[in-house]
Amino acid sequence: MDLFRRLFSQANTKTDSPTPIETKPPTEVVEKKPETVMTNPLSTQPVEIPSMPNIADGITRPLPPETVISSSNEHLLFGQATDVGMVRTNNQDAVFSFVSTSRSATQRPDFGLFVVADGMGGHHDGEKASAITANMVAAYITNHIFLPMLNSDDETERVPITESMIAAVQKANADIITKVPDGGTTLTAVAVIGDLAYIAHVGDSRIYLITKDHIEQITRDHSLVQRYVELNLLTPEEASVHAQKNVLYRALGQSETLEVDALTRRLPPNSKLILCSDGLWNLVTEDEIAEIVSTHSNPQEACDKLVALANTHGGTDNITVIMLKIPAH
Amino acid sequence: MPETTQFAGMGGEDSTDSSLQANTVLQRRYKVLGVLGGGGMGTVYQARDLNFPDVRKLVAVKEMLNPTTDPTLHASTLKTFQREANILATLNHPAIPKIFDFFDQNDRVYLVMEYINGRDLETLLAQTKELPIDKIIEWSIDLCDVVEFLHTQPKPIVFRDMKPSNIMVDQFGKIRLIDFGIAKIFDGGTKKHTMIGTEGYCAPEQYKGDVTVLSDIYSLGATLHHILTRKDPRLEPPFSFAERPIQDFNPAAPDLLIQVVEKALSFEPQNRFQSCVEMKTELENLRYKPVVAVANGATKAAQAGTGSETSFFAGLDSHGTIEPRWKFRAEDEIRCTPASYKEMAFIGSYDTNIYALNITTGAFIWKYPTHGGIASSPVVDQNNRLVLFGSEDKTFYALDYRNGKISWSYTTQDKIRGSARIAPEVDAVFFGSDDGHLYALGAPNGRFLWKYQLGEAVRSRPVVANDLVIVGSETGELFSLGLDGKRKWSYRTKRAVTSSPFVDIDEGICYVGSMDGFLYALDASNGFSSWRFRTNGPIISSPVVEGDLVFVGSADGHLYALNAQTSKEKWKFASDKPIIASPVAYQGAVYFGSTNEYFYCIDINTGKERWKFKTDGPITSTAHITSDTILFGSLDKTLYALPLVGG
Repeated sequence: MDLFRRLFSQANTKTDSPTPIETKPPTEVVEKKPETVMTNPLSTQPVEIPSMPNIADGITRPLPPETVISSSNEHLLFGQATDVGMVRTNNQDAVFSFVSTSRSATQRPDFGLFVVADGMGGHHDGEKASAITANMVAAYITNHIFLPMLNSDDETERVPITESMIAAVQKANADIITKVPDGGTTLTAVAVIGDLAYIAHVGDSRIYLITKDHIEQITRDHSLVQRYVELNLLTPEEASVHAQKNVLYRALGQSETLEVDALTRRLPPNSKLILCSDGLWNLVTEDEIAEIVSTHSNPQEACDKLVALANTHGGTDNITVIMLKIPAH
Repeated sequence: MPETTQFAGMGGEDSTDSSLQANTVLQRRYKVLGVLGGGGMGTVYQARDLNFPDVRKLVAVKEMLNPTTDPTLHASTLKTFQREANILATLNHPAIPKIFDFFDQNDRVYLVMEYINGRDLETLLAQTKELPIDKIIEWSIDLCDVVEFLHTQPKPIVFRDMKPSNIMVDQFGKIRLIDFGIAKIFDGGTKKHTMIGTEGYCAPEQYKGDVTVLSDIYSLGATLHHILTRKDPRLEPPFSFAERPIQDFNPAAPDLLIQVVEKALSFEPQNRFQSCVEMKTELENLRYKPVVAVANGATKAAQAGTGSETSFFAGLDSHGTIEPRWKFRAEDEIRCTPASYKEMAFIGSYDTNIYALNITTGAFIWKYPTHGGIASSPVVDQNNRLVLFGSEDKTFYALDYRNGKISWSYTTQDKIRGSARIAPEVDAVFFGSDDGHLYALGAPNGRFLWKYQLGEAVRSRPVVANDLVIVGSETGELFSLGLDGKRKWSYRTKRAVTSSPFVDIDEGICYVGSMDGFLYALDASNGFSSWRFRTNGPIISSPVVEGDLVFVGSADGHLYALNAQTSKEKWKFASDKPIIASPVAYQGAVYFGSTNEYFYCIDINTGKERWKFKTDGPITSTAHITSDTILFGSLDKTLYALPLVGG
């Protein structure tokens, strides 16, 4: 896969044939990180993030005053952003978010479904694989978890949620093998019901749980270098610059047998969850993620900011990020 | 060096439209009889060779769809394919299927080869419970032999994809290597470059695209590890074989065999066998000295058994067995779980009495007779100085624990076999009755607060957490009620829930076992089930959580330790009879009794036995552990007090 990714990025640089364009990088970026910009060959390219004109400024804003929300009306909030990055010509990531919140006598908990898939494969196979996966997983979970939740009279036996999550991923895997035999994708999905997160995960997209003063990666990368780290053959620092850092040992579209990591986590009040593709975490450190997440009360602003920062750091890959904000209860 | 790999993506394709129909005749010679297997890149058919009209000569016909439409590429792939087929056609080895024919028809390529009447090892693993060790050794030797044959060709061939599903066992019990990498060239050289071979069996260097004969030796080791442990490496992280020691899963495996497999699985290629001959020679030592091998295994097992006990109890007792501090004999079976408060221990018996004993000496303090057997476990209410329990005389009793005098009682419509739970925050006691109700009474005086109809007998012990009372019913449902007795949620399992729910307060997850064999994890706040874990027998035992592990016993004879977040099994411990009692986790160990009459102390992290203690009857009573004593009852009518050691 890394070869594929590498091949792909090479192909891009060729076709792009970057000609220096005399566009000044956003001034604030220069002020903030002069060295990065000077040494970064990509800084000669225009930073075009049209959807977020005021956000790609690379600076940390002061925390806006928290608006006091009546706690009974507080619900799950999310932000979502995806970007092709600064190097590639197409976005092979797929992202899906869905939130349902209601107040009625039935006391139905909030439901959220969030999916990040990072596709790989040439001839648009990567984006096909990630798109199929995101749609399939979203449809399956909606049908098997969300809709039955709405029909609470339905007294039939309920399949455990992680089993449905795993089944959704297995189905997507079988679908990719049939429809996009040369494509593959990572998949990180979380269904939030109330304050419990049900996670299904394959590949090297990540989920971070951020509490007041702590950031924790709660998914395990299915990458070769991570395995080396686990076996104490590499330090995390060595892994981050390793030649094989993009090689996955587990992904959708590889084989019929797919082991899906599934886990359940209680989300503490006021905590935040970040789902992201490696285009973010390869370029933005955990500390930076934690900093941005904790200084932006608006999840959408935080997502836009994270994408902008990854682009500032080179934007070498597609960048996708979802942020969830868990209510204070 | 030509390299081979297998068909990419076998199986999974259900589109039958691309498959040949039965009775199709290819090349006017091969009449398709049916499909043997198939998948993404094509199908394998069973066919009859019509050139032998008088006999039924069966062949296997592999069909490969050519996915590329580019004519130049098509021609070149076909050419490479043909060349590789030619190489294989020259291979003459008993474990390699013969290739008979090769042709191109209707844009598809066909390879006709020997039909092997047998099953592949993956299927065999799924269909058997145990494979004889000497058979596995035979197969290992034969596999070394055929791989060595490939490696020593004038142009050495690296098989690259050794795994159980690529090994057939024919009708004579001999192994045959199948799926030589004819399909490699069809991979298109794209994404599979990073994942040559099959995940789980691949050597570390293979992930970098670096394949040598030593990679085959690793995969051979991985295959043998899978066969011996029955743990599929595709479901585990790569290079994690050392985390699943063979002896843990297959006590019958001789040391020497384990060493051979471990050497083959060395991370660094230079630490493996440097050739299959080397590996084969080691394995042949096993074959030719079976008596020694068996003796080794037996000695090792014996040593392990005594070793753990003696080392653990060194200085405790010259015989290496644990001696109870005291025993108390009732007049009938003890099924329930003891309780204690300060210096007093309490236990109920089927002899209808509840007993109070001195916890240090076992001396009798008082007893209280009821009119029925006591299956319900006593619980202590410190605030009200009571010991509370139910009896099969349908009555729930509250006694002054200091003297055994009755404080109050409450009679239900049927036997009480469930144990009670005190909720000090509301000064109430909750218990179930065979009359199908969960009762809530005021703890100080037995005042009726409410009851809730659960359909059938309630023998599960309620748990109180986050202002909810959660209890199982013999209907198979788990009910969650508010402290006011109003229903909050319910969850239906397929069989009775006799197991008592356990709530991990920090995570808000409720665990419960069911007679349907599953352990369930549910969100305690809304009853949504997170996961379930299947055991092979009903679960009556109640789960318990310690750290990130959840423990439960099953009637399949195992005690399971599962990761609470992922439901993945960390270890399981086999006793040879159902485990009805609930485990107790305490200071790095798990304590439980089995109906095989033994009481066990198991290391919480490894699942290894630290010691065991034999009683004279099945144990269904759960242990009660104090700072220095383990109390439990047995159906031999005895309450045992063991010293708490080695925690």
